Amino acid sequence: MTAILVADDDMDIRDLVAFKLEQAGFDVTAVDNGLAALTAARLEPPDLVVLDVMMPGMSGIDVCRELRNDRSTSGLPIILLTARAQEGDVEVGFGAGADDYIVKPFSPRELVTRVEAVLARQRA
Amino acid sequence: MTLADAATATIYVLSVAAVALGAVIVFGRAARRRREERRARLAAPARKLLLAIAAGDDDPDQIDELVRLPDEVWTAVDANAVALLNKVRGEARAALVVVFERRGAAWRARSELHRPDPVRRARAADLLGILGRRDAVPALCDLLRDADADVRVVAARALGRIGDPEAARPLLESVATRRREVPAHLAAHALAGLGVGAQPALVRGMDSPREGVRAVAAEVLGLIGAVGATGRIEAALRADPSTEVRVRAARTLGRLGTRTAMAPLLDALTADHLPVLRAEAAKALGELGAPAAVDALTAVLGDAEFVVAHEAARALLRLGVKGRAALTSAREGSLGGPRRIRTVAAAHAREALAVAEIDQHRRTLAS
Repeated sequence: MTAILVADDDMDIRDLVAFKLEQAGFDVTAVDNGLAALTAARLEPPDLVVLDVMMPGMSGIDVCRELRNDRSTSGLPIILLTARAQEGDVEVGFGAGADDYIVKPFSPRELVTRVEAVLARQRA
Repeated sequence: MTLADAATATIYVLSVAAVALGAVIVFGRAARRRREERRARLAAPARKLLLAIAAGDDDPDQIDELVRLPDEVWTAVDANAVALLNKVRGEARAALVVVFERRGAAWRARSELHRPDPVRRARAADLLGILGRRDAVPALCDLLRDADADVRVVAARALGRIGDPEAARPLLESVATRRREVPAHLAAHALAGLGVGAQPALVRGMDSPREGVRAVAAEVLGLIGAVGATGRIEAALRADPSTEVRVRAARTLGRLGTRTAMAPLLDALTADHLPVLRAEAAKALGELGAPAAVDALTAVLGDAEFVVAHEAARALLRLGVKGRAALTSAREGSLGGPRRIRTVAAAHAREALAVAEIDQHRRTLAS
């Protein structure tokens, strides 16, 4: 089963994303901060990571950069989920190495489509 | 009573007070924990249903189940439900709205708008805004004059979210009352949410005798892209008695980017105006992106007012090859005029070009 790591400090979003992805047949691990996401990804690299950008302590951007700089996780597909929709924010997200960028409020159905698309690109 | 007796009594009283306070804190925490545990127990099954609906499941049975939940259980998940309404869009949001509507949340919220407790009034206004209830617009407009400042802000935000242009005039008027006003930037944000439908009310607002109203109207006309109001904004830039309004008019002309804005902006750049207006005009000329403004902007690169020269240099960066050529020329000291002015112009040009170089480098690294 395809494993997805979800990191978001907002419990409602975290549970919702996990719920929707599990419903779509993925095996989801959810954590509530950036450091936990980094630790989990290094311990057992998932097939894809969904990161909230604004988390206390280590942000999703920081986690994204760390994952890209680590040989064992540098190829992981990463999707950023964020309320920051300015062009500059999107640029920073992709600059950090994200494969996709989803802006909140988001459509859960679209999230699943984007996850599947990024995974398909990765496998191609 | 001796001094020693008094000290002993004081220590005794303080000790008893400390123990009592400790007990209150411990029992208070325990009670709160019990309440939270009970709330979590009640919420658990409802939360699962809520997540299913928020995930986009439009299963009528699940919606019915959520609608039929006892009030006590719904109260336990109400805050989560409202939070999710703000965080999802599309079918998921529509399904959640159905649940709220069928539970009578909008009707209840409307009745809460007149409660004595400001927190309840604010929550009700917020929910009506989230649900996009146009029928609540008059009641929310009344709340713009609420005695509580937070309620006024929440009402303004709710009106912006609903997006009914009928709210434009009350929102505009809410910024300039002597008492019970809404902060101008929040009112402007809400007005921007009304979109182009607010244009007629905003144009009328430009004729208001109150400076605050005219300033917000000028700003918001730019935010909503009211190209049709360009003439009125140009007139404000030329002749409004308030500098604040003229500054905002200049900014708006830059945002709208119409060709006719060039002449009044070039006029506002001249030395007989206040530096704050000249700087905004320089910035707006950069936003317009018209190479025809290069000479005028180059002429103020060595201006004695730092902010004017600084904005002129930044604006030149945005005017393509001709603008960059003017900056390079100024950096090399090739412009005419007294040495002091050439030195100032060279410094501003150097800074602008350096910033552009750093930006380019950053973009290269990011790609």
